[in-house]
Amino acid sequence: MSSRDLSGARTSPTLTGGGPAPAQLADVLERVLDKGIVIAGDIQINLLDIELLTIRLRLLIASADKAREMGIDWWDGDPFLSGGRKDKSLDERLRRLESAAGLEDDEDRA
Amino acid sequence: MIGAEAATALYAYAAVGPAGAALEGDLPVGLELIGDDEIAIVVERVSLDEFAEESLRENLNDRQWLESKARRHEEAVQALLGKTTVIPLRFGSIHHDRDAVGAFLDERRSEFRQALTSLQNRVELGVKAWLVERPAADTAAPAPTTGREYLNARRRARDDATQASGRRAEILAAVHERLLSLSEAGVLNGPQPPELSGRDEVMLMNAAYLVRIGDDRLAAEVGRLSVDEIQFELTGPWVPYNFVERVS
Repeated sequence: MSSRDLSGARTSPTLTGGGPAPAQLADVLERVLDKGIVIAGDIQINLLDIELLTIRLRLLIASADKAREMGIDWWDGDPFLSGGRKDKSLDERLRRLESAAGLEDDEDRA
Repeated sequence: MIGAEAATALYAYAAVGPAGAALEGDLPVGLELIGDDEIAIVVERVSLDEFAEESLRENLNDRQWLESKARRHEEAVQALLGKTTVIPLRFGSIHHDRDAVGAFLDERRSEFRQALTSLQNRVELGVKAWLVERPAADTAAPAPTTGREYLNARRRARDDATQASGRRAEILAAVHERLLSLSEAGVLNGPQPPELSGRDEVMLMNAAYLVRIGDDRLAAEVGRLSVDEIQFELTGPWVPYNFVERVS
């Protein structure tokens, strides 16, 4: 099952019968992983605490590059989160402009 | 390990109340209630193959696994929204058996009771603001022909950007104030990075507000909000994820 199938979960009547708009994965993760009352479970709560704290940091607070340094990179290569989405046009436009203007690094020469 | 019993555990999703057997019919297949008529815990039997320590570390880094479990958690807490009051628990509250669930319910009963009372008939609405790029905003100026012109243009663009960002901050602060006045409480969460949001646009605001069920004022206001380069998005209704810690 692709993540796109899952992304429409909110619209399925068998799931919630609730709001009309599909819930975005980001909104679900943010709430489910980061909010809610913490109950000390029987199973490996210490590990969970640590893992959830780091997931929270990695997903919600740290930048993507930082997260990759920390070893979390599950959105890489995932069409739902990264494929065909990354817009490099600004970078490329800047590079073209700089090259047209004969500049490589304007900050240093300014 | 004690034989077959050790292969499964109970995942606790939410505390709900008032409870009672009648609510079970509204639960998705596989979920059940443990508790009494005042307060019950929504649980599901899960495999320890997935949730025991050694698998968990790996699974938490498996995006598909995490997504499917997070969505199941969402589905479980959302199922009773509007039917009773729901206090969501944090992802991954795993207990060995019904007795353990009953024990933590008893232990935390007064806390749950207080949260259930204060969040009765309330839902959470999410409001996000996105910076949408204005098309062809930079084509009015002639293309720079020298390095100096190019540098000056970039400097001007940078100054303009700083001013624009200051203006946007003021607009969003005013919007937040306005939405707070139409709700009982509100929180500002960190904007989601594009890798998480899945959108190219920069997220400027990521807020959640607590409103009474049936109070449409905030939703209507968000629908009316219109600012040139800022797009507003309403999500929900959610169970009050962002407001349970406030009362616990």
